Amino acid sequence: VDVKGLPRPLDGDEEPAKVLESYPLNCHPRYFRLTTHAIPASQSLFTRWHLPLGAVVHPLAESPDGVMNYKSLEEVPVINFGAAGVIRCRRCRTYINPYATFADAGRKWRCNLCTLLNDVPGEYFCALDASGRRYDTDQRPELSKGTVEFVAPTEYMVRPPMPPSYFFLIDVSVSAVRSGLLEVVAKTIKSCLDELPGFPRTQIGFLTFDSTLHFHNFKSSLSQPQMMVVADLDDVFLPLPDDLLVNLVDSRHVVESFLDSLPSMFHDNVNVESALGPALKAAFMVMSQIGGKLLVFQSTLPSLGLGRLRLRGDDVRAYGTDKEHTLRVPEDPFYKQMAAEFTKNQIAVDIFSFSEKYSDIASLGSLAKYTGGQVYHYPSFQSATHGDKLKHELSRDLTRETAWESVMRIRCGKGVRFTTYHGHFMLRSTDLLALPAVDSDKAFAMQLSLEETLMTTQTVYFQVALLYTSSSGERRIRVHTAAAPVVTDLSEMYRQADTGSIVSLLGRIAVENSLSDKLDSVRQQLQLKLVRSLKEYRNLYVVQHRIGGRLIYPESLRFLPLYILAICKSLALRGGYADVSLDERCAAGFSMMILPVKKLLNFIYPSLYRIDEALTMEPDRTDGSLRRLPLTMQCLDTGGMYLLDDGFNFLVWLGRMLPPEFVNNILGVSLANFADLSKIQLRECDNEYSRKFMKTLRALREKDPSYHQLCRVVRQGEQPREGFLLLSNLVEDQMAGTSSYVDWILQIHRQTQS
Amino acid sequence: MAADPSAAPPAADPDGPDAVRLTWNAWPRSKIEASRCVVPLAAAVSPCRAPDPSAPPPLPYPPLRCKPPCSALLNPFARVDFAAKIWICPLCFSRNHFPPHYAAISESNVPAELFPQCSTVEYVVGGAGVPGAPQAQQGAPPPPVFLFVIDTCVIEEELEYVKMAMRKAVALLPEHALVGLVTFGTQVHLHELGFSDLSKIYVFRGTKEISKEQILDQLGLAGAGRTGFPKMPGQPGVPQVNGMHPPATAGVNRFLLPVSECECTLSTLLDELQPDQWPVEAGNRAIRCTGVALSIVSKDLSEPVRSHKDLDKDAAPHFQKAVKFYDGLAKQLVGQGHVLDVFASALDQVGLAEMKVAIERTGGLVVLSESFGHSVFKDSFQRIFEGGEQSLGLSFKKWVDGSTNTEELVEGFDQETAAVVLARYISLKMEMEEEFDATRWLDRSLIRLCSRFGDYRKDDPSSFSLHSNFSLFPQFMFNLRRSQFVQVFNNSPDETAFFRMLLNRESITNSVAMIQPSLISFSFDSPPSPVFLDVASIAADRILLLDAYFSVVIFHGMTIAQWRNMGYQNQPEHEQFAQLLQAPHEEAQMIIKGRFPVPRLVVCDQHGSQARFLLAKLNPSATYNSAHDVALGSDIIFTDDVSFQVFCEHLQRLAVQS
Ligand SMILES: [Zn+2]
Ligand SMILES: [Zn+2]
Repeated sequence: VDVKGLPRPLDGDEEPAKVLESYPLNCHPRYFRLTTHAIPASQSLFTRWHLPLGAVVHPLAESPDGVMNYKSLEEVPVINFGAAGVIRCRRCRTYINPYATFADAGRKWRCNLCTLLNDVPGEYFCALDASGRRYDTDQRPELSKGTVEFVAPTEYMVRPPMPPSYFFLIDVSVSAVRSGLLEVVAKTIKSCLDELPGFPRTQIGFLTFDSTLHFHNFKSSLSQPQMMVVADLDDVFLPLPDDLLVNLVDSRHVVESFLDSLPSMFHDNVNVESALGPALKAAFMVMSQIGGKLLVFQSTLPSLGLGRLRLRGDDVRAYGTDKEHTLRVPEDPFYKQMAAEFTKNQIAVDIFSFSEKYSDIASLGSLAKYTGGQVYHYPSFQSATHGDKLKHELSRDLTRETAWESVMRIRCGKGVRFTTYHGHFMLRSTDLLALPAVDSDKAFAMQLSLEETLMTTQTVYFQVALLYTSSSGERRIRVHTAAAPVVTDLSEMYRQADTGSIVSLLGRIAVENSLSDKLDSVRQQLQLKLVRSLKEYRNLYVVQHRIGGRLIYPESLRFLPLYILAICKSLALRGGYADVSLDERCAAGFSMMILPVKKLLNFIYPSLYRIDEALTMEPDRTDGSLRRLPLTMQCLDTGGMYLLDDGFNFLVWLGRMLPPEFVNNILGVSLANFADLSKIQLRECDNEYSRKFMKTLRALREKDPSYHQLCRVVRQGEQPREGFLLLSNLVEDQMAGTSSYVDWILQIHRQTQS
Repeated sequence: MAADPSAAPPAADPDGPDAVRLTWNAWPRSKIEASRCVVPLAAAVSPCRAPDPSAPPPLPYPPLRCKPPCSALLNPFARVDFAAKIWICPLCFSRNHFPPHYAAISESNVPAELFPQCSTVEYVVGGAGVPGAPQAQQGAPPPPVFLFVIDTCVIEEELEYVKMAMRKAVALLPEHALVGLVTFGTQVHLHELGFSDLSKIYVFRGTKEISKEQILDQLGLAGAGRTGFPKMPGQPGVPQVNGMHPPATAGVNRFLLPVSECECTLSTLLDELQPDQWPVEAGNRAIRCTGVALSIVSKDLSEPVRSHKDLDKDAAPHFQKAVKFYDGLAKQLVGQGHVLDVFASALDQVGLAEMKVAIERTGGLVVLSESFGHSVFKDSFQRIFEGGEQSLGLSFKKWVDGSTNTEELVEGFDQETAAVVLARYISLKMEMEEEFDATRWLDRSLIRLCSRFGDYRKDDPSSFSLHSNFSLFPQFMFNLRRSQFVQVFNNSPDETAFFRMLLNRESITNSVAMIQPSLISFSFDSPPSPVFLDVASIAADRILLLDAYFSVVIFHGMTIAQWRNMGYQNQPEHEQFAQLLQAPHEEAQMIIKGRFPVPRLVVCDQHGSQARFLLAKLNPSATYNSAHDVALGSDIIFTDDVSFQVFCEHLQRLAVQS
């Protein structure tokens, strides 16, 4: 096998933009991507497609040039039907869309999903041209564009749209104090106050806790906030009827005064306990009327009251047994029950975890999982090291455009049906996803199945509808519509396959399986799917093409074997007990469940660049973008400096033969005098190399603001750091118990031929 | 038969230098003899009276005690053998050796506690602190502790009055006094005065009974229980247990701080203190958790607060439970050496009747007024803090020699003390015994007393007379029957509890004023002089000053009121009139100044609506039933009550019956 000739996704995700060429009325694929843009016409065909059939939906995706541009939601045309009301199919409730057709001289419209003929309301009437097209089609975005947004009238509201609200639940026990966390959190929140969505209606509140709960009274007439301690953990109650969650504009000075004094307020706190469960109850009581976002900052294992957790996962013997997966799911039902209550009351929970010890992310994360939230994990947080990362990610969380009080439903035409959904949400009824809050950093995946043995239509239509409250307090419905052909030919399904979408869905399914199965069997199942799929493909072509012993795969799936190997080697699924800490594994799993396709691919197959050359070359030659390298040791020259970027972290690898002056310039200190690279904080130094280097990092970070890469430095041969920081990420190389890319391909090849 | 009040000699201090008064200053010979006295043998003691300037100065050393179980203190009645350095306890006759530091005593070198005039003496006791208070420096007495507990279920205006009073009080406290603050409404707020520069409050649920242990635990003050709390910035080197948890003792001074350290914090706190924020449903009372978890009444306003009728009929559902709660609280307070003072100001009742037990047991003060803006509250509250710190006083019982016959008994009768003792006795019986008929009981006691000690021929009412030591007693009983102590249905249970608490704690002289008010007349004809507590004392050209203890009434006769309304007092030629008008006010201020709580002052005119405050206290010698012989300018009272004359006629008739 020619190692160099093996396909590698060095250009990252390939968005299936060509779909738009044949289906120009479809929504952009950044919002909706089928795993294959060809729906099997029969059950028998479907069973021969061994990969998942489904889609990845990213309802609030920012446009590519919308980086750092939070107005991207506004770019979608907004339509107000006024007196006519939102125009929907009487039977299946599909929203009017470009694939609807008009009849009876424009007085009727036919639903493209269920074919029902509906009346056109008088206010919406328009005559048709000779081809049956409405004259106003081009003026009406809902008839000409795949993505539109409708203003929802009052019947889409169960209550007046609530103001955006942010409630912070902050563990102030000794570890939070000592790590410098409080200072970073307080400063960051303060710096974001002007940018919180929803001005001037935004609501804000804080609750701090250790072994007791500290409510904070932000009544606007106070000169400074008032701390109210409730120590009865068994019977949590609110110390005030109002003023715990307040209007930011009215109470701005009290909130700022609180944030200014938060670090000093607990500066001497020596309390080691953390009553998270009761604190969650309290937060729920404060927020339940309005809903909103609950941001939890947890620095230690919850130790008091309801939901107190215990150390687990330190038992090596559980791995490889039937009990292994139980470590990856919550032990106490409290967290899932609490999450259900939160969702019911339109509260989304984001978890920021900072513990240096085990903190049971599996349990904490379930709060985010069922409320449409997100898990941020900063193991062994120290403000000097992790401060910037937290600052950026918290700012992003607070200032990104967010849709509130939302529900999402995906309709599809006759014959197909969505069966399972994968992501962070609570399933309300069989096909309605409850999302107390949703933003541009969250994607969802789902699987399809055929309802009938034979499809009778030529085209299947899909419509994603997200009903939400905008930060400005308007009720909106964002609608994405797409069409896909029904095919009778398996090879067409292969041709239209979307590797990114497939990998995204496979990754999520694998993470979910790891919650009920051993890691080893999860990886085997992935491999089996790949083998079956390639075998099917081989059977399709082996006869006619006489390909003999060669491994063949469709062009569309050329990266699939490597990506599946990468999933198996991802933080969430790799190895066993000793390879990844349980918390890190779970945190990675939670991330994989929400990442959009592009980010997921970069997470499992990170970008590797050589950067010393770019830095030392003449300025006119460095403007070219960095060239990605295959993830293998063989690409690393001992005389080079390399950068690995998985979207969450940067790793700078220093080859042994790098000139010391160069290294010293980049690091800002003499490497000879600075033995411990784990303590290095990279800052811009007063020299050309350092400036260029930092500029490179900035450029990479700006490409995607959803996370902020923490930068670490490792020297060649510096063990064990080199091992877990770099080598474990070189997915093409063989590591303890895992195959190299070449071996993997050979294995798969063997199995497809058997 | 009624004694002329103007004839009573103005005693220097009727309660004597020792503030001990007995009903009988003679000892009955036997048990049977004692039971035939009708008025029980009783002593009224005021151990902590405000110090008399003429009293000997406090002794700067601890007292000597008799051996246990007696433990009486060495006193002037002890027999001392100076040679043997032995004293014999007059109470138990035990022999006690003087300790070595008394070695120098002799007949010519007697310690102060043996001076005959030192039957009452104060010692300054240092050393042991109050449990729960922070450790004071070695030897020095612990600083006084003031824990303020403020109800916030009031309207803004009332709360402002309280704040004003609090600010004044704090300014008057000695610098080193420790201060704590608790506010309560729907919930209880304990203010941590020592927490950095922010205000920090511990909140307790109002609907739940929390044990002392739970509270200590929740505050982080329990011994080994819950782990630490934020310690005070600037608190130097709090030693740490286990390296992590601050010791429990680091706790209390978070809540109790010297005035000098927390004056600023307190002032900010008071500025920002607001009425209870919890919504009150229409038609409901604010939910107020005075005793945490405890209700005096349901929150529904349509259900009135229990009345005396309800209590009699056992129709006050919360009463017994509440009394039991306060009884438990009282025990806890006494055990910890705390005093509960209550300042209640409300138009409705607040549950004083239920709290009475805790106030009494701890020797607390009580003030009841209609508003925190009323001078009854304002001046009383301020008065407490003006006195400054007081040392712990101790006093002795006076020794009474045994006596023998009836004649001597009569000589030894103290009718004022007897009246007060009976008033307290029936108050207790009214509280404890269902269906107790106080009026009947008093009548029968009076009749028995008159039969036993009166001079008469059997079955001849006209022959009846009483020794001068008994002469005022029937009048006391007549007024007691008509007083707030017996006629409770005119008042709320809270008011009754308030009256009874003061009756039980005040001196005999003051208590007599509660039972039988004094009435002074001011006129051009004569200098101010006491007059009969009788409607006949009203005259158009007189000003009357009634001191009913809880209230002081200045009552202008019709003519006086007219002249005043015409402004004569402002004309130089009528300066005498101006002086006449002024005199009762000065007298009233004297009375008010010497009294705690401050009495309510009522100024009224004859036939004015406020005149009822005077009329209610007067003997109805002239009612609409007897209006024919009313003197000119006098008044009549619209009542069916019998007059004192009729009362006496009945008494004489029954006393002489064989
Ligand atoms: Zn339809
Ligand atoms: Zn004795």
